[in-house]
Amino acid sequence: MRGYKYLFLLPGLLVLVSIILFPLLFTIRVSLSGWDVNQPGLNWIGGENYARMLSDNRFWEALARLDVMAIGTVLLQYVLGFALALLVWRDIRCKRFFRVLFLVPMMTTPVIMTVIWRTIFSESLGPVNDVLNRIDLPSVPWITDGAMAFISVMIVEVWQWTPFMFLLLLAGLLSLPREPFLAAAIDGAGPIRTFFRVTFPAMAPISISALIIRFIEASKILDTVYVLTSGGPGTATETSSYYIYIRGLRDFQIGYASALSFTYLVIMIVTLTIVAKLLARVLLVRST
Amino acid sequence: MKANPFLAARYAAILLWSSFVVAPFAWALTTSFKSDSGVTSGATYIPWLQYQPSLRGWKELLHSGGAGIDVGWPFLDSAIVTLGASALSLVLGTFAAYGLSRFTYRAGFIKNSDIIFFFISQRIMPPIVLAIPFFLMLRALRLLDTIPGLILVYIALLMPIVVWVMVDFFNTVPRQIDEMAILDGCTPLQAFVRVILPNTMPGIVVAGMFCIIFGWNDFFFAFTLTFTKTQLLPVAIVALNSSVTPWWTLSASSLLAVAPLVAVAFLVERLLSRGTLAGAFR
Amino acid sequence: MSLAAENLSVAVEGTVYLDRVGFTLQRGRLYTVLGRTLAGKTTLLRVIAGLQEPDQGDVRLDGEPLSLRPIWRRNVAMVYQQFINYPHLSVVDNVAFPLLRAGWSKAAAKARAEEVLAGIGLSGFEARRPGQLSGGQQQRVALARALARRADILLLDEPLVNLDFKLREQLREEFRRLLSGEDKGIVLYTTTDPAEAMILGREMLVLHEGQLLQVGAPAQVFDQPASMTVASIVSDPPMNFVEGAIEDGAVRLRGGLTHSLPQHMRGLTAGSYHFGFRANEATIGDSAGIDGALILAEAAGSETILHVDTPLGPLVIQLEGIHSLGIGATVRVGIDDRRLFAFTPGGTLAAAP
Repeated sequence: MRGYKYLFLLPGLLVLVSIILFPLLFTIRVSLSGWDVNQPGLNWIGGENYARMLSDNRFWEALARLDVMAIGTVLLQYVLGFALALLVWRDIRCKRFFRVLFLVPMMTTPVIMTVIWRTIFSESLGPVNDVLNRIDLPSVPWITDGAMAFISVMIVEVWQWTPFMFLLLLAGLLSLPREPFLAAAIDGAGPIRTFFRVTFPAMAPISISALIIRFIEASKILDTVYVLTSGGPGTATETSSYYIYIRGLRDFQIGYASALSFTYLVIMIVTLTIVAKLLARVLLVRST
Repeated sequence: MKANPFLAARYAAILLWSSFVVAPFAWALTTSFKSDSGVTSGATYIPWLQYQPSLRGWKELLHSGGAGIDVGWPFLDSAIVTLGASALSLVLGTFAAYGLSRFTYRAGFIKNSDIIFFFISQRIMPPIVLAIPFFLMLRALRLLDTIPGLILVYIALLMPIVVWVMVDFFNTVPRQIDEMAILDGCTPLQAFVRVILPNTMPGIVVAGMFCIIFGWNDFFFAFTLTFTKTQLLPVAIVALNSSVTPWWTLSASSLLAVAPLVAVAFLVERLLSRGTLAGAFR
Repeated sequence: MSLAAENLSVAVEGTVYLDRVGFTLQRGRLYTVLGRTLAGKTTLLRVIAGLQEPDQGDVRLDGEPLSLRPIWRRNVAMVYQQFINYPHLSVVDNVAFPLLRAGWSKAAAKARAEEVLAGIGLSGFEARRPGQLSGGQQQRVALARALARRADILLLDEPLVNLDFKLREQLREEFRRLLSGEDKGIVLYTTTDPAEAMILGREMLVLHEGQLLQVGAPAQVFDQPASMTVASIVSDPPMNFVEGAIEDGAVRLRGGLTHSLPQHMRGLTAGSYHFGFRANEATIGDSAGIDGALILAEAAGSETILHVDTPLGPLVIQLEGIHSLGIGATVRVGIDDRRLFAFTPGGTLAAAP
C-alpha cells in the first residue's frame, strides 16, 4: 500500500520540481554572474548586478507603472464583471446566449486579439478615431501619447479579462441560497439595499478569490504591451516584465536580467501575500 | 427587481457591453474582406457601400512567402503542443492530486498543504522569470525550437492548474468509496482508474479545458523558445504584425487563429448551465 | 474456518481504540459486536479488513496472519453505515463489481448479481443508479454486493443506524435471515443497540473502551453479565445499581432497605457488594419497599419510565402501561430480592438470579 502512495504523487511532483526548481536556483546563480553578450558564461561578480539594480530608475518606474496598471485593470474588471453577472443573472431573456457571448473574449488568444486592437487604435486608419471625427471630436493619440497609450493597454486588458471575473462571480451568484433574498423582499428592501446588504456580503469569499487570482495574472502583463505599444511611447507603458525582457532577451544581459527577475519575483510574492491577507480581512469584516 | 424601467436599462446595458465584446471581431471581419483602398483611405465599415470586398486576405492564408502566411503549419504545431502538453499534464496532475487528496505525505516539516501550495504557487511565477533559465536549459538539452522542448515547458505551466482543480474534486468523493473498491478486489491503482476517475469526470473536463485554453493561447514562451523550425500560431500571427503586412491578411489570419477557442467558449457555457461548474439558482 | 485475534491493540495520538482484544470466531456464524459509541467497534472491523494496522497483535484466518495479504486479496466484504455504493454504476453492475475483479466472466457475474438482488427483494431495480434509490434500498444494494462474493469474512458496521425506526425493524428481520448460514463465512455485525444485538446474533461480543469484556450467546450475556459495565451496556431497560453489603445472612442496601438473603446469593461471603436490579423488575406501590420522590415520568411506547429519588440513590423504574403520577409525589419502590444481581466491589459478577 505504501508503494502506491508514492506512485501517485511523485511523477508529477518530480517533473514539476525539476522543470521549475532548477531553473529558479539557476537564475539566482546567474544573477550573481556577469553573463552578457560580451562575456558569456558563469563567472562571479557577487552582488554587482543587485547594486546596479538599486540605482536603476527605469526598473523601479516600471514596477510603479505595473502596480498602477494591475490595480486599475483588476478593479475595473471586478466592477464590470460584477455588474455583468448581475445583469444576466436572472429575469432576462436569452440568458444563455449573452452568457456565452460575455465569456468569449477570455477564450481568445490575447496577443492575436491585440494585433486586431492595434488596427482598431490606429490613429489615422482606425475606426475609433474615425468615429470620433464623425461626431466632431478630435482624434485621440491612442498609441503615440504616453497617457493614452497606457489607457489603450488598459482597455484591451479590460476587454480580454473582464469575462474571467464575470464567470467566477456569476457562478458565485448562481450558488447563493435563496432565503436571504426572500427575507429581504419581505422586509421591503429595494434593489440597491438588497445588493449592499445581502448580495455583496454573500459574495465576499468569491470576490476575494477572484481579485487575488486576477491580480496575480495581471502582474505578469507583457504580451499586450509587447504587441500594442512595445513599451512605448518611450517607456510610458513599460512594465516590469517588459523591461526585464528588454534587458534579458533583447540586450542579452542575462546576468543583470536574472538579478532583476529574482528581485521582481520576491517583490511579487511578498506583495501578493500582503494583498491577499488584506483583502481577506477587509471583505470579510464588511460582510459581518 | 421587476420594475420595468430597471429592465429596460438592464437590456440597454447588456447590449452596450455586447457591442463592446463584438466590436473587434466585427472590425476584423470586415477588414479581412478589404483590399487596398478599403484600408488606406481611412476607416471603412460596410462592404459594397464603402469598399469593394475581396477574398484576397483569406486566399493568402495558405500561401507562404510574400505578403501572406501559411497558417497551416503553425496551426498544426500549436495543436500538437497544446494537446500533447494538456494530455501529459492531465495524467501527471490528476495522479498527483489524487495522492494529495488521499494520502498524508511528510518530509521533515513539509506537509500535504505545503506541497499543494507549491503546485499552485507556480502560477505566481511571471513568465519572464522563467523564460531566461528555460532558454538556457533547453539550449543545453538541445531542445530549443522543438516540439518536445515546448511540451516539456508547458507541462510545468499546466500541471499546477490541473492539481488545483482536481484536489478539490477528489476531496468531495468520500474515502469509503476508495476503501470499498479496494476491499472488492481492486489495487489502489485500479480503484483510482475504475472507480474514482469516472466519478470526477466533470473535474477532468474542466481541468482539461483550462489546459487547452492556456496552452493554445500562450505567446511568451513560444516566442522566446522557438524560432524557425517550430512555430506556434500566436507567434506566427504576431510576426505578421509589421507595417508591411496588409490589414486584410492580418485580420483573416487572426480570426482563423481564435476561431477554435471561441467554439470552446460555447462548450464551457453548456457545462455551466448543466450545473457542472455551479449550482443552479434554486 | 476460524478467525482468531490475539492481543489486538490500536492507539492513535494517545487515544486507545483497542486494548489487547483477543477472540476466536467460527465460520458460518453471525456474531454481533455490541458497544457504545467510540467503544472500538469500527476500529476492530477496520483492523480485520486491513484498513488500519494494529500497533500490537494480529488477526489470523485459519492460522495464517491476514497481514501477509494486501487488502485487495483478503476476501473480506464490508457494509458501511453510510450506504456506500458506486455512484457511476447501475445496481446490477454494483453487485457484480467484486465478482468481475475476482475473475468471473461477465455473464456469470451478471447472473449471480441478479440472483442475489432477487433474494434481497430488489428485482426490477437492476438498471437504476444508487442515487435514484431510497436509503433502505441503497443499503440493500450494498448488502447484495457484499453477499454476492461469498467472502470469507463479512463485516457490517452499524448498517441500519441511518435508517428510520420502522425500516430498521423491517430490515433487521431480513438481515437475520440473509446473514445466517454456513455459506456466509464469518459475519461480524456491530451495533450500539442492545435489542438489535440480542435479536440478531448467535453470539455476542461486548466491547467497551477498547476492551473485549464478554463473549457469549446473547441470552447468556444478558442473564449473566460478567461485570457491572457489561450489565449496563447490555441492559435495556437499564440496570439500577445500589451499594450495600451482605451481613448476618441478609442483604443490607445502603439507605435503609434490608432483604433476606436470596437463594442464589447463599454462597457469597459477607462483605460489601454492589447490587443491581433491572428497571422493569422493580415495583411501585407495594407495602414493602422504600419511599422516594418522583422526579420525572416519561411515557415511552406502551411503558412508563419513572425516575425516582430515593435514599438508595436515584433509581429508574419501568412500568408497563401508562401511569400518570404527579411530580414530587411519594412513591414506594419495591425490590424483588430474587431478581437481584450481586457484583464485587471491583465490579465483576458475584451472583446472578
